[in-house]
Amino acid sequence: MIKLLEKITPTESLKFLHRVVDGLCGRSYPRRIEYGEAWSLTEFGELTNSLSKFFTVAVGRKCSDQEVQELLGDLDSAHAAVVLQCVHARQEEIRLSLVDRTNGISSTQLQDFNWQIKLALSSDKLSSLNTPLLNLSLDMKENGLQRAVNIEMNKEELQTLISALEAANKVVLQLK
Amino acid sequence: MEEVDRILIHSLKQAGTDIDEDVQSVKQFSSELIVEAVVRCLRVIDPGLGSGLSPTLPPGMSARFRLGMSLAQACQDLGYKGEIGYQTFLYSNEPEIRSLLMFLVEKLPRESAEASDQPAGKSVLLQKAIAAQIKAQLALPWLPPSCRLPLHRKTQSPGLCHSFRAQPLSLPYSQKASTKKQAKEVKEYWREHLVPVTSQPSHRASILASLLENHVSELSAAQEWENEWNSQGLLSRLTPEDYRSRKRARLQKRIEEQLRAAAQPRPDTHGTTRSTSDLAELLNSFGGTTTGGDVLTKGTRFTHAEKFTFTQEPEKAAQQMAAAASALPSSHQSEEDLKAQQEAELSGLQQQLQQLSVQMEEVGGDIRQLTVSIHQVSDELKQRELSNSEKEDTVRVKKQTIDLLPDAENNLVKLQSLVEASAKRVVHLAAQWEKHRAPLIDEHRRLKELCSNREMESSRKLSEIKDLHDKIRQSAEEAKKKEGLYKQLITEYETLPKDVSRSAYTMRILEIVSNIKKQKEEITKILSDTKDLQKEINGLTGKLDRTFAVTDELVFKDAKKDESVRKSYKYLAALHENCTQLIQTIEDTGTIMREIRDLEEQIETENGKKTVSNLEKILEDYKAIRQENSALAAKIRDG
Repeated sequence: MIKLLEKITPTESLKFLHRVVDGLCGRSYPRRIEYGEAWSLTEFGELTNSLSKFFTVAVGRKCSDQEVQELLGDLDSAHAAVVLQCVHARQEEIRLSLVDRTNGISSTQLQDFNWQIKLALSSDKLSSLNTPLLNLSLDMKENGLQRAVNIEMNKEELQTLISALEAANKVVLQLK
Repeated sequence: MEEVDRILIHSLKQAGTDIDEDVQSVKQFSSELIVEAVVRCLRVIDPGLGSGLSPTLPPGMSARFRLGMSLAQACQDLGYKGEIGYQTFLYSNEPEIRSLLMFLVEKLPRESAEASDQPAGKSVLLQKAIAAQIKAQLALPWLPPSCRLPLHRKTQSPGLCHSFRAQPLSLPYSQKASTKKQAKEVKEYWREHLVPVTSQPSHRASILASLLENHVSELSAAQEWENEWNSQGLLSRLTPEDYRSRKRARLQKRIEEQLRAAAQPRPDTHGTTRSTSDLAELLNSFGGTTTGGDVLTKGTRFTHAEKFTFTQEPEKAAQQMAAAASALPSSHQSEEDLKAQQEAELSGLQQQLQQLSVQMEEVGGDIRQLTVSIHQVSDELKQRELSNSEKEDTVRVKKQTIDLLPDAENNLVKLQSLVEASAKRVVHLAAQWEKHRAPLIDEHRRLKELCSNREMESSRKLSEIKDLHDKIRQSAEEAKKKEGLYKQLITEYETLPKDVSRSAYTMRILEIVSNIKKQKEEITKILSDTKDLQKEINGLTGKLDRTFAVTDELVFKDAKKDESVRKSYKYLAALHENCTQLIQTIEDTGTIMREIRDLEEQIETENGKKTVSNLEKILEDYKAIRQENSALAAKIRDG
């Protein structure tokens, strides 16, 4: 599949490869519209998929140059050199993203979190409440599915949560 | 009294009593109004005490009586000292009611006054500001989106909809990609292909979040490392790299142990054996990769790459050369000939160039060697010169001694005398030195003492300065606090209702105070006058007594001899007696007059108590109670 890369020039393909690595590292993949003339939809999908796989394997197994060449198969030498250059340039970054993925080994992981603080001035029963409330939203990934969890906490509840997290952090520090 | 009444009425209004506009003084208070005012005040002062009392007078006479009794009891519970009973409320008289109301108004809680004594905290101010802002926003009418002015857009637009989500960024020179030497490809990537950080995230909105996230993670990592390094790393006395690698090895070992413990093959389950063996393989590979440090493999890769790039080009060139050489004989055309010639020339020149450069390098090496040897030789030369001069000195000394040898005795004597003279000189010099030294040492000591004194003084002054600084800071803080309080009070004062003119009150109070002062002065003057009068009277009576005694004696002496004188003595005695009586009468008149005035005052106060009308009222009420009683008795009889 990687042979499809030969449809564009080596300089263009270097740019394309970097965009693919960007996607691998959690940013946006290249858009098909920009390369609409070179590949069809299926070709584009296959190419990006196989390139991602290739990068994962090449960096994950710490392949030497020769092994990379073998992985590339019968790609012509100019393109192969470009791919090799890209692998060299982005090795550390890809490794970090792979490590990140390995870290998320459990079934549910926290992807991102966000918080907002609100001050409730009054309620339907009290004219002056003045209670700060924290709105914590957690973006979880549960068995590969995104799930958002929203929690509203007052001061005491937040204190409980923070103390629980601190205890967990202590355990982690002891592991170190 | 009017002022007092006005203040009273104002306070009662604030406590919640409904007082008509035309009621201007306590004199005009009806029984109903009094009861209402007292109940309202009681409710404000003590809700538990006042809640059981109704602010309106009931129609039944006995119920009225009971209400009056309970109100009096409540007032006494609050600590009212004056005389009070049901009659105070039902059959009122002005001064009693006034004193009661004044007592109650003084008892009214003054939260606002107390609260404003302390500067409100920042949070209170913030909450006030928030409340004001919200109030202002609520006051604005809602407008459809198309009609909104920029003014409204700020408060009425739905706000930011996108969430605050971070994406990983790729940055050169970050902590993650540490500062170790980067490969050529990486640098080229940074130079050529890395997009600016503002266009890296897929959404514009997440730029800020991503940047913040990146920064925070790097910062926290750096902090954590610093903490660990300071607490444990420094104690281990290793270089940071060593410490890191040791820690990594320890962690890997630990993880391995954990996994191994978890992957112990269990005899009772068959399905798991395969997976555990897989895991064991994985562990082996894990261990293998860990022990062989990735630094090593990386290093070899880079050396490989270097070799590859550097060796390929000469080979290629050689191949091309060979091709060119083989092509040379097979072609006879002039152009190709020329080309071949040129290429041959080029290669010759290149060879020459290479030879020359090799020679250059050789020569450079020679030069370096030579300069090193020159340095060595010059060093040696210097050393030699030094030893030479030393030797010359010794030779000169020896030569002189040899010269002196022939006339040895004389020279010896001469030498001895020389030595003695020099010894004497030394002693002399020492004595002189001692002479100079003593005053110098004294001077030194004095100066030292002075210096220490100065130092002490300076340290004292320093501490004083420190104290002063502290004081300045404290006063500045206090001033700031006071200023804040002042500002707050000013704003509060501006928001206060202006119906009570304070200045008028203060003017009035000042007037009253000055009046009182004047009256006091007058009183003291009158008192002193009275004292003077008293003194005069005493003096006069004394004088009178004395003259009377003298006259009496004289006349009495003569009276024995002369009949007419005896008569005049009798007259004198009668005159004295009459005068005493007269004085007594005048004094009695004065006391009676005073009593009359007292009584008149009493009559006035009794008149002020509306006794007649109250008595009439009491009579009526008595009749009403009797009627009620008879009605109740009739009911009982009927029942």
